[in-house]
Amino acid sequence: MFFGISSLTIGGGYAMVPVIGSALERRGWTTEEEFYELFAVAQSFPGPLALTTAAIAGKNLAGPRGAAAGVAGVILPPFGIIVAVAALLGRFGEEPHLRAFLAGAGATVPGLVAAMLVKLAKGRKWTWVRALETLGLFLALILVPRASLPLFLGGVVILYLLERRWNS
Amino acid sequence: MEFLALVWTFFKIGVISFGGGWTVVGLIKAETVPRWIDEAGFSSLLAIAQATPGPVALNAATMVGWRTFGLPGAIAATLAVIAFPLLAITGAGVIGKRLRLDPIALKTALKTGTLAMMAMTLYYLLPAPPFDPILLGIGLVSFVLVAFTKVNPLLVILGAGAVKTVIEALQMHV
Repeated sequence: MFFGISSLTIGGGYAMVPVIGSALERRGWTTEEEFYELFAVAQSFPGPLALTTAAIAGKNLAGPRGAAAGVAGVILPPFGIIVAVAALLGRFGEEPHLRAFLAGAGATVPGLVAAMLVKLAKGRKWTWVRALETLGLFLALILVPRASLPLFLGGVVILYLLERRWNS
Repeated sequence: MEFLALVWTFFKIGVISFGGGWTVVGLIKAETVPRWIDEAGFSSLLAIAQATPGPVALNAATMVGWRTFGLPGAIAATLAVIAFPLLAITGAGVIGKRLRLDPIALKTALKTGTLAMMAMTLYYLLPAPPFDPILLGIGLVSFVLVAFTKVNPLLVILGAGAVKTVIEALQMHV
């Protein structure tokens, strides 16, 4: 089982979730509906989606040992690859072609993040209150990045209370 | 002390990482640049983290850990970033039964929080002067491609690296 999940991690991040889903179904571990339910639960936890999905799927299937196996499966392959890449960079990082390649690749990142932001923003129902809340939290976060943990957690609690009051 | 600070930093990042890895990238940058890694190093780290398998936040933790304290740093930072999410999943059954939360309101609140964090990430990643026109162009083109077409982001990253390599090679020969 450990290897079953571990081999799936090639594909990366968000793209991984549907892959996990179909692999679990193929092995008869979950049905499609069960998986979507599990995925919805995974989304409401902090942590990378692939990680939380694997942990919850593992836990449901085989208890704590399953969760541990799922987590190990998700973490270990990228860990190995990153360490290998980082070690290689340490050795060849000054090579001019490689530097140019990394600079070009790195330049896409703000574009990718902006694209994700657009998709996230498109995917929700906007109201004046929500727009103001988002803007307010964003400003607070960039003004005091050091306090981002209490700001975010406190912010979510306040937003939760506001949401219950006005929208339900 | 620096080692503990690294672990604590990535533990905090793990606590906030609702809604997938990219939301916390801005925070990772605010916490680690320039203390443990420089600006250029961070941007190539992100490109590598995105182009290799595994969640971005996790990969970034591994790499920053490796850069600062070698293998022990890489292991410690990786474990630190997943510690809270795993505790939360394990403890969820217990807390969930005591606190009766309204799931829709909670989801909406988290969505707002996630959007604000994502905007923070973008704010921290925007290029600063002096601007390199080629890199700015790459950023804009990749935004358009990923936001409005179905091109695979991985291809965009690798393609951008190749374009920049070719341009620099040509410039050297002129």
